[in-house]
Amino acid sequence: MIRRMALVMGLAALFGWMAMDRMDGMGQAKSVEFGSPASPPSRMDADGSILEDWGKLAFTITGEGLAAAGPVSVEGTKLEGIVPAAVARAKRGPLEITTTAFRSPTYPAGTDVVTLAIKNTSGAPASARLGLPLPDGARVGRRTVMWGGRVILTLPMPIEVDAQKREWGSDDDSTPMPGWSRPDVECDPAFRNIRAGMNGVPIVYKFSVPNGSSHDVVLGLCESHWESSGMRPVVLKVEGCPALTVDPLAKWGRHKPGALLFAAKDENGDGTLVVSALPSPGAPDPNPILNAIWLFPAGTSPNLEQVVLGRMNAVATRMADVGGENDQSLYLPGKAEYNIAIPANGVVELTFFVGAAGGSAPMPGKSAWTLDTLRKAAVEVNRDWKEK
Amino acid sequence: MENHAHCDCCLTRRQCLKFAGSAAMTTGLVGKALEPTFGQAKPAAATDYVPVETLRPSPAVRITGAIMQMPRPYWLGWPGTTYDLDRFQKLYRSQAAASAKKLGIALDMLADPIQDEQGYAALVKRVKDQKPDALQIIIQHMNCWGWADRLSRDVGVPLLIFSPIGTSFTGHVIGLSRRPGVLIASTLEWAGVEAGFRMVRAKRLFEESRILWIHGNQRGETVLDHLGTKVRQIPRDTFNKYFATVPVSAEVKDVAADGRRHAKKIVEPTPDDSLNSARAYVTAKHLLREEKANALSMDCLGMVGAKLVPTPPCFAWTRLQDEGITAGCEADLFGATSLMLTSYLLGRPSYMNDPVAETHKNLLIVSHCTSGTRIAGFDMPPAPYVLRNHSESALGVSTQVLWPKGEPVTLVRFTGPGELIVDTGRVVSNVETPPAGGCRTSVELAMDDIEDCRDVMGFHQCVTLGNHKREVESWAQLYGLRVVHSPRYAPQPAEAAA
Repeated sequence: MIRRMALVMGLAALFGWMAMDRMDGMGQAKSVEFGSPASPPSRMDADGSILEDWGKLAFTITGEGLAAAGPVSVEGTKLEGIVPAAVARAKRGPLEITTTAFRSPTYPAGTDVVTLAIKNTSGAPASARLGLPLPDGARVGRRTVMWGGRVILTLPMPIEVDAQKREWGSDDDSTPMPGWSRPDVECDPAFRNIRAGMNGVPIVYKFSVPNGSSHDVVLGLCESHWESSGMRPVVLKVEGCPALTVDPLAKWGRHKPGALLFAAKDENGDGTLVVSALPSPGAPDPNPILNAIWLFPAGTSPNLEQVVLGRMNAVATRMADVGGENDQSLYLPGKAEYNIAIPANGVVELTFFVGAAGGSAPMPGKSAWTLDTLRKAAVEVNRDWKEK
Repeated sequence: MENHAHCDCCLTRRQCLKFAGSAAMTTGLVGKALEPTFGQAKPAAATDYVPVETLRPSPAVRITGAIMQMPRPYWLGWPGTTYDLDRFQKLYRSQAAASAKKLGIALDMLADPIQDEQGYAALVKRVKDQKPDALQIIIQHMNCWGWADRLSRDVGVPLLIFSPIGTSFTGHVIGLSRRPGVLIASTLEWAGVEAGFRMVRAKRLFEESRILWIHGNQRGETVLDHLGTKVRQIPRDTFNKYFATVPVSAEVKDVAADGRRHAKKIVEPTPDDSLNSARAYVTAKHLLREEKANALSMDCLGMVGAKLVPTPPCFAWTRLQDEGITAGCEADLFGATSLMLTSYLLGRPSYMNDPVAETHKNLLIVSHCTSGTRIAGFDMPPAPYVLRNHSESALGVSTQVLWPKGEPVTLVRFTGPGELIVDTGRVVSNVETPPAGGCRTSVELAMDDIEDCRDVMGFHQCVTLGNHKREVESWAQLYGLRVVHSPRYAPQPAEAAA
C-alpha cells in the first residue's frame, strides 16, 4: 500500500489542518479535548492539529494536484460508544483525510493514539508526501522521535528524515539532566551536568574527525546519587580502546569529579569517533551517567587534574558539556517525511503513538503495546470508570 | 492443586464453604463499630458480606490445540515404526482435555492431526481468525519441527509445543525453545505440559485484573504494558474512612477469632487488635468490590505514621494473600504485580521483603510483616505462625510465619512491567525479633548461584516457597518479558581494564 515515490513534484502545499480561518461550511470548526479518566486531556484544535505538552503534532501533505489548503471539520466522538476521541476530516483533491485521536491510559502517563486515514476517491492511483514538522531538539530514530529524554512519537514505519548532522553531538535516547551532579570541590562547571541512560539505554556521542585519526579522549564523571560503591558502575567505550568499567563513587567518592584518559582512534576509518557510556551488566543501578567529554590531539596526554579543573579546555579540540547548556544533538531540527502511494479507490492508514501528559510513547522492541491493546485498555478503563 | 467445582479461583472447597457459612452467619448480625467516625461513607455497603472468591478474576481462557504428524505409515525416523500413534494421541488428547477442565480453560483441539501443508495453512487461518490466547501443538514426528518453527512466526499468539520424548533431539529445541512467545515441553511428564496451560491462564488473570493502588490523594486509572493489568489509584484516606464504618460484625468476630485460634502463639496482640485487623480485612474486601478490583497495594506505612487507623493492615493482608487476593504493602506497585505472579502462576502467596545482608554467615535475611501462611499452595495446610504486632509501630496484628527450614524458595520481582528479577535459595532459619529488629516474618536464606549475599538484586523481592525458577523464566519468555538474575560473583573492581 505504501511505497516510496521516485519523484515528488511541483506543488508543495501546507495541508489545511493548520488553516483555522477556513471552515467547511458544514459546521463551525472547534477544538475538542480527549483524554482518559482523571488525567490531563490533550486537545485537537480546530485546524486538526493536536496539542501536547511537548508541542504540536500537525501533519503536512504535499503533492501534485493537491490543494494548498482547505476546510477542516473537527468533532468529538466516542469510539465503541465509550472512548472519548477527536476526529478531523478534510478533503484535498481526490484525497479524503480523516485523523482520529484518542487517549490510551497507559501507565504511567498515557499515550495518545493518532490514526491518519487517507482515502483516494479517484479511480487512479495517487501519491502524496506526508510531513511531520518536529519540535526543536527532537531526534528521529528508526521508529521513534525523542525529545527531552522522552519518546514523543512512535512511528508506524521507518521514516525519511531531512535533518542534517552537526559536527558532534549526542546520538542516543539518554536524558539530559542539568544540575544533577553536586561536585563539592573546584572543577569545571560541566561536572554539574549529566546525561543519564534511563532504563539502561546507552549514552552515545559522535564526533566528526579526519578518517582514521587518533585522539586523546578524556571522559569526566561525578556520582551524586549513591552513597556506597558498587551501585552504578559504568562501562565506558571509546572507539579504538578496550572497554573500561568504572565505579565513579568507588574511584573518586561521592560528589567528587574524576576523569579518565583514553587513547582513541577512528578505528573503522569512517570519519566518526564514537564515545559511549553503557550500563554495567548486573549493576544494581542500570542507568549509566556521563558528565563531560574532551577531545585532545593525539599525544597531548593531558594532566587529568587540570582537565577536571577546566584548565585544559583551551587545548581541547572538542569539549562536550554532557547534559549541560552547551550540549547538543547530533542532528539539526528538521522534518520527518513519508512518501505515500494510495491505490485507486484505496485507503492508507498510518497510526502514530504520541507521548502525552509528560509521558513517553511506547518504545518499539521494549513495549508490548499495539494498536489493538491500546484501544482495549482505553475501552476497559472508560467502561469501568466512575467519578467520585 | 485441586480446584473446587463452582469457581476458578484456586482456593479450596473447604475455604469456599467456610466463607459461604460465614456469609450466612453475618447477614443481619451487624455488631457495633469500635470507632465509627465517618458514617457518611456508605455504611450500608460496609455491612454486607463480600465473598472473597468473587474478588479473584475469572477470565475466559481459550487455547487451540493441534496434533502434528507425518502421513502414515511411519518408517524409520523418530518416534519410529513401533510408536503407537493412535494410543498416544488419544492419551494426550485426554490429558489435555483434563488439564483444561481442571484449569477452567476452553480447549479447542482439532479433530484431525495436521500432516500436510494444506492442514498447516488451515491451522494458521483458524488461529488468526479465532485469536485464541495460545496455540498448543503436540509433535508426533521429528519432521514436524519445520511447521513448529513457522508457527512461532505465523500465528501471532503464544505457542506451546509438547514434544514427547522420542520426537526431538536437542538440536530441534535449542533455538526455538528460547524464542520469545514459545514454550517447549520436551518431556513425558504431563505436569510439564500442563505448566504451559497454567502460564496462559496466569497471563489472562493479569489481563483481567485491576490493582487498587491506595495512595496519595488522586483518583485515576492506567494500564500496565506487557501485563495488561489495570491500576486504579484511589486516595489513601478512602481506606481509613471506609474502615471507620465497618462494624464488628459476625464476620469480623469470626475472622479475628480464626486468626487467634490457629496461631501457634500470641505475643502482643489483644483481642481488640484482632477485631480491628479483621475490620481492615473486611474494609479491603469492600473497597475491592466497590472499585471492581482484584488486588491492592496501599501506603500502609504512611497511614500508620499519620495515625489514621488503629492498626496496620498486616494481618488482613496475610489473610487476603492466603485467599488468593494479592494485598501488597507500601503502595509498591511492582511489588504487588510480583505478588500476583506467584498467586496466578504458582498458586501460592509470597511476601515482599526488605532484604538484609547477614555478612557473618553470608546469608540473605528477607523480612516483612505480611507473609501469607499457605506458602505451600492455596490448597495446602498453612505454615505455623505467631501473632505479633507490627514491629515498627508496636500496633495491631502481624504474623510471624515460620518458614520450613531446608526448603527451597524463589525470589521474584518485577522491576517494571517488562522485566523480572528471579533468584533462588534455601531457608536456613527463622529470625526472632528480638533480638533482631525489623519486621516480624524474618527468614534467613542461603542463596543459590550468588557467591555473596550482598549482591542479591532488588528490594521488596517476593519470596515464595519452592524452586520455580524455570517456570517463571518460561512464563516470562512466553510473554516477551526480560529476566535478570543477581550476579553470581561480586561486581568487578572499580576498574576492570586499563
